[in-house]
Amino acid sequence: MRKPPPLAAVDPAAPPPNLAKRPGAVPIALQGLSKQFGTGVQALDTINFDIAGGEFISIVGPSGCGKSTLLRIVAGLVEPTTGACERARNATAAFVFQDAALLPWRTVSRNAELLMELEGVPAPERGSRAAEALKLVGLAGFERSYPHQLSGGMRMRLSLARALALRPDLMLLDEPLAAVDELTRDVLQEELSQLWQMAGFTALLVTHNVHEAVYLSNRVVVMSARPGRILKVIQVPFPFPRSPELRSTAAFAKLTGDVSAALRQRDHI
Amino acid sequence: MAQTISLPQAGARAKSALSTALPPILVALLALSFWYLLSITVYAGKGYLLPGPREVADAFVENGATIMAATLTTLKEAMLGYLTAIGLGVLIAAILSQSRVLERSFYPYAVLLQTVPVVAIAPLIVLWFGYNDLSVIVISLIISLFPIINNTLLGLRSTSRTLVELFAMHHTSRIISFWKLRLPGALPSMMAGLKISAGLSVIGAIVGEFIIGSGNSQGGLGVQIIFAQGRMYTALLFAEVICATLLGFVFFSVVSLLGHFLLRHWHESAAD
Repeated sequence: MRKPPPLAAVDPAAPPPNLAKRPGAVPIALQGLSKQFGTGVQALDTINFDIAGGEFISIVGPSGCGKSTLLRIVAGLVEPTTGACERARNATAAFVFQDAALLPWRTVSRNAELLMELEGVPAPERGSRAAEALKLVGLAGFERSYPHQLSGGMRMRLSLARALALRPDLMLLDEPLAAVDELTRDVLQEELSQLWQMAGFTALLVTHNVHEAVYLSNRVVVMSARPGRILKVIQVPFPFPRSPELRSTAAFAKLTGDVSAALRQRDHI
Repeated sequence: MAQTISLPQAGARAKSALSTALPPILVALLALSFWYLLSITVYAGKGYLLPGPREVADAFVENGATIMAATLTTLKEAMLGYLTAIGLGVLIAAILSQSRVLERSFYPYAVLLQTVPVVAIAPLIVLWFGYNDLSVIVISLIISLFPIINNTLLGLRSTSRTLVELFAMHHTSRIISFWKLRLPGALPSMMAGLKISAGLSVIGAIVGEFIIGSGNSQGGLGVQIIFAQGRMYTALLFAEVICATLLGFVFFSVVSLLGHFLLRHWHESAAD
């Protein structure tokens, strides 16, 4: 797999060389992305960034900095005004939203099958893949429940299972853990990290939570207020698998401090 | 120990069931008594104005076959009008929901359909479709159509934006999105419209029968009501009005039950 060359225009932090090669996971190249909405609002300004296949990247930034728009451009839901997002044409991408976005009239297992259904996966295969994904996220035994019978954390697990069952090369996560309580969030972060290490997809996570970004990622991208620019790219050197105890180490606190400091700098740029 | 706890609980449940059923039963008994008292005091000997409960019951028994036949005729007409309204209403809402321009162009006329008093256009309908069942069905259809269009359209438009994005991400066609996302999502709102129209369709059928009148003596409840009024047979008139009311109630209940069955797993409106 060809590694895209780092672009000189932004922070020179390159994809980490020690990242295990993950067959199937897609690299992404964001080339001079800008987005101006019809209302005249400039959401993004010249985003240049390369993501290696299998990397976990988090994007943090103030509210309204266009990070969700960036994610939607990568997803193909929004067209950039200028620039391009290069990724393999045949790559399967799955999107996980802040609200679990489940179909309330479908059972848990039928919800887990939804994306495969839309992508034309044959029915018998859908069933086994959904069951497997539900088991991975700890929802085995709830197949016949309905979403309203699940807790917020379980709904998010189902949303993750639905995406995982698609066996995506690229996982796009738009603040998926913002709406769950803090204890559940920690547990889900650990699970998400394990799932990523196991499944080997490329992950792009948008979050407000600096700790979450550092805990999960290879690199954290800090964006400025609108129009969104990349202020800084911060490498996270901790090896995987990461234990929950990592969160209470001095090195972790130092790094989250760095990210927070970079976020605060936005006014001086 | 467990027994001493569970027994009062079972007793409490029976008590609560009684306390929900008792008040309406008491009201019914009171109303019947009041009606009876009126009929033997103020309206004594004026049964053509207010027949007593006994006379109405007698009228039921004496004209059982006629009333049954009339009820069945009205039921058939109302049901045909209602089912056509559902098919047509959902189809129109589905088409309007596909484009803002379409909706903006045609929705005002759908509203107009509701504001035209159906009693006023009924004679016109009869002029076009003749003095027969078809006119009655069409009038029932027109009166039940708007709530179905309106509520279905509301439901089809209120699909969650996130879900629309999710479906868009996987290149879902309009038709598949409609079947798998918009239509099931619109169901609760659609059922609300269907419930309103269930009662309306019976009203429409009876209004239609009023207009086509006693042209044929074997007509539905509306025809029989006019007929009984002409003969000053007020007890029969009462019996037929009660039947018409029950018919609307049964219609409504069947649709409510269907809605409950369809939505019980997932929507608050069907929660017990």
